[in-house]
Amino acid sequence: MRALDVVWVGLGGGIGSLLRWWAGHVTGQHYHPSRFPLGTFIVNITGAFLIGYLSELFLVDWRDRYGTPLQAGVLTGFLGGYTTFSSMELDAAKLSNAGRTGYAWFYLIFSVVVGLAAAWLGVALARLQH
Amino acid sequence: MLNIIILVFVGGAMGAMLREFLMLSVPKIEGFPLDILVANVVAAFLLGWVTALYKRNILSGDVNTLAGTGIMGGLSTFSSMVYGPMVMLGTGQTRDIWTAIIYLLASIILGYIAVIIGLKLGGSDMPQPPVPMPRRDGA
Repeated sequence: MRALDVVWVGLGGGIGSLLRWWAGHVTGQHYHPSRFPLGTFIVNITGAFLIGYLSELFLVDWRDRYGTPLQAGVLTGFLGGYTTFSSMELDAAKLSNAGRTGYAWFYLIFSVVVGLAAAWLGVALARLQH
Repeated sequence: MLNIIILVFVGGAMGAMLREFLMLSVPKIEGFPLDILVANVVAAFLLGWVTALYKRNILSGDVNTLAGTGIMGGLSTFSSMVYGPMVMLGTGQTRDIWTAIIYLLASIILGYIAVIIGLKLGGSDMPQPPVPMPRRDGA
């Protein structure tokens, strides 16, 4: 890893985080525990789709996460900043605190399963373009 | 508005760079993305902690935006967490498939425990006041 990789990761992470904040903002600033955490879900699923699509399109191994602007800036930086694991877990804790622990676990597992499917769809789409 | 944009951008950049440094310092295990798991669980713990302190008015809204929305969001990642296991599932090898399933389950369970511990440490297990459910009687 070079110093330039750190710059790319930082730049991508900043832009991705802004986009995530904006997505949360437009899907509803006020999150209600009784509803589905839509903002986090949307960024995570679209981010999973993009990482699958871009990794396959540019033939980047999932273990290689820096070295080029695409790997450091987009895959590690932008998509890492855009998607979030911590907010997903906090959403689940909020649902659990609202007395909906079963729904909280459904939300976590549903996010992961749909995320896997979205990443797979991204890979499949990129393969069609090869 | 500009204030929030700067805080989220700077925080997100810091978080993503921290994750990259973690990826270099966490021991490599062949075929098991331990670095991402560590970054995610640490971020979940810290987000719980920051959220609880914010709810108790110990941290300001700006600090919460910088640290909670920015740094913890940038440090944790969902896309990398699912992409590695997706590739493993696609190999069709029994060992890879089980590694992927165990990795994903370990991530969400440890992350959940971490956020709960963070909330408790910050002195709050009710980060959100209850919202009244819609009434069914039409009133």
